[in-house]
Amino acid sequence: MELDNVTRPAGQTQPLSDEDKCFLRELVETNRIEHHGRLSYMDIMFDLEHRYGNSLPGPVLGEVARLVGTSPAQLNGFVTFYTMLSTTPRGKHVIRVCTSGPCHVSGAPAILSSLRQLLGVDIGETTPDGMFALEASSCLGICGVSPTLMIDDDAYGNLTPEDLPRILNAKRAGGTQ
Amino acid sequence: MKLFSTQIIVPVDSNSVLQGALEVRHVLEETIAKFNLGSQVSVVETGSLGIYDRGVVLAVFPDDVYYGNVIPSDVEEIVTEHLLKGRVVSRLAIDRSLSSKRLVEKESGKSQQKIVLRNAGLIDPENIDEYIARDGYGALAKALAMQPGEVIQILTDSKLQGRGGAGFPTGLKWGMVAKEQSDEKYIVCNADEGEPGTFKDRLILEGDPHSIVEAMTIAGYATGAHVGIAYVRGEYFMSIARLKKAIKDAQAYGLLGDDILGTGFKFDIEVYRGGGAYVCGEEFALLESIENRRGEPRNKPPFPPQQGLFGKPTVVNNVETFANVPPILLNGSDWFKSFGTPSSAGTKVFSLSGDIVNRGIVEAPFGVTLRELIYDFGGGVKGGKHIGFIQTGGSAGTVLNDKYLDIPLDFASMKAYNVSIGSGVVLVAASDVPLLPFLAEVAHFFWHESCGKCTPCREGTLQIKAIMDALVNRTADPASLQRLGVLLNLLSDTSFCGLGQAAPLAFESALRNFPEVFDQALAESHVPEACQEET
Repeated sequence: MELDNVTRPAGQTQPLSDEDKCFLRELVETNRIEHHGRLSYMDIMFDLEHRYGNSLPGPVLGEVARLVGTSPAQLNGFVTFYTMLSTTPRGKHVIRVCTSGPCHVSGAPAILSSLRQLLGVDIGETTPDGMFALEASSCLGICGVSPTLMIDDDAYGNLTPEDLPRILNAKRAGGTQ
Repeated sequence: MKLFSTQIIVPVDSNSVLQGALEVRHVLEETIAKFNLGSQVSVVETGSLGIYDRGVVLAVFPDDVYYGNVIPSDVEEIVTEHLLKGRVVSRLAIDRSLSSKRLVEKESGKSQQKIVLRNAGLIDPENIDEYIARDGYGALAKALAMQPGEVIQILTDSKLQGRGGAGFPTGLKWGMVAKEQSDEKYIVCNADEGEPGTFKDRLILEGDPHSIVEAMTIAGYATGAHVGIAYVRGEYFMSIARLKKAIKDAQAYGLLGDDILGTGFKFDIEVYRGGGAYVCGEEFALLESIENRRGEPRNKPPFPPQQGLFGKPTVVNNVETFANVPPILLNGSDWFKSFGTPSSAGTKVFSLSGDIVNRGIVEAPFGVTLRELIYDFGGGVKGGKHIGFIQTGGSAGTVLNDKYLDIPLDFASMKAYNVSIGSGVVLVAASDVPLLPFLAEVAHFFWHESCGKCTPCREGTLQIKAIMDALVNRTADPASLQRLGVLLNLLSDTSFCGLGQAAPLAFESALRNFPEVFDQALAESHVPEACQEET
């Protein structure tokens, strides 16, 4: 039965290569060892997003569901519950702008609107060049330097709209600062 | 062990790193080598010093001098002037009292009391020897020499209550799990810190991860559990890395594993990551998430101490709660009760944010007032402005006006005055910050974070958001405040879990403390013609 179809978003119809299948098998087994016979789907999903460009392709999820012994629907339910995970393709870098109370008070709305303008996309969208996905986030836990945002694993604080072009350009060029 | 005459402490917590702490440390090490001071001066990485808004901070010991806003080009001056010639670089020196107790003591007679944060910023969190040198794992050794029941008795006597928001007595919880007969039990650390405005657990995990490893192990011994799981927010990359390193180092020292300190007691800890779901701070939702499911809460009872993770008896405690355990065991319950108030023993870690001069973390005994937190520790409102509103306890907390400044914050006054302490958020907004857009953001937050399991919360948060947006846009219909009141009651009475039940707090308290703001918005509202037929 082609269970993959359940979780396959549009534009992700390519079947898995043998290399992919091998990678997935090893990933699941390593995870099982790390968690003493249990599994952490979340760890697996973060690793998958790392490999598959910040999103979880349907065929990959189908294969992982088979490997961990659950249904693709269950796994899809898991994946779509958590904000950090995405089943639709996202840009190379994920920008998470904190919009919670402390950042709101310190100027997050201005940060968000200038990011919208600079990138030409709205929240939940990816730039046409595939470089940045813009997301609004709940509190990032660095309220001591609000307003804040994270790009991938890097956090930025005490932001003003004027800081943003520099940060984006550095990311585009491949640096962290 | 090598002895150094001078130590330079560089905080490398997330806040400092994003301001360039790693570059400064790198240049510092190079410069020290260049001036041949490598044998006398050591550079120590540490967690946050609790000083924010001062850029990269360096602390020089034993001179007790703090430098702020340090950039790489300042480093050579510090090395040549201070380290070589012993002259403080006054251009960069900062008044440490801004963030610590000295000046505050003089002004108010109150000071920070560091129990939870005893090591954060003082030790290298990645070095287990430094933790051990500060009595680390001493409490574990002491506990292992006692009967499990005695350990629980000390905690019960200490009156330690959970620091995640609910305030459940920790000793009682552990006792319930210890009493259960089961082949498997679990100790879970709730490090899914997501309450907006809270950043204390991050500071503990990044500044003193071993305290959590030690406390979880003690909990395992006291309750008869052999598996510990720390569930850490997915966005807390450094917290996860530090905690994993601490676990690995403790294993290597025989402080975790099959035969802890040669006593035959077996315990180990694993780290699970969150995926960006606020509801997973709710204990059952968190357990569901560890079990690889959607983070939706379960029915209560049974509670986790009876049927928790994988249906087995489980202790779920907050990071801050765990961090209190080793000092209590070392110093005794009477010592712990000597801090705080009759209803609330010990200290609370507060996260100060928003329009406050010194944003950051303060640990103070229960009974501290908002005035002390905001003006003495926090240095007042930015730009000398007046307070517009204060949100305490987080988004699921209360919105207060300045009449609440002198109420002592503890579990008793929470009930008496309708003030949330929650996870310790103190978010200050200056008088020029409009209240309604802020509340609309809070409404948006709950709408986004509602897990969707129960109808009151799923649909109610959407309706609250719609009303708040309409008030902001001045398109609210005349009955909207009445409808809001009904919705808020409905959510707090009928929501399935604590998230939905607490979601109304901000709006209820804002309606109570700032009725004029709502009335004005309503008076200025014009219902758009297109909508008039529906209303």
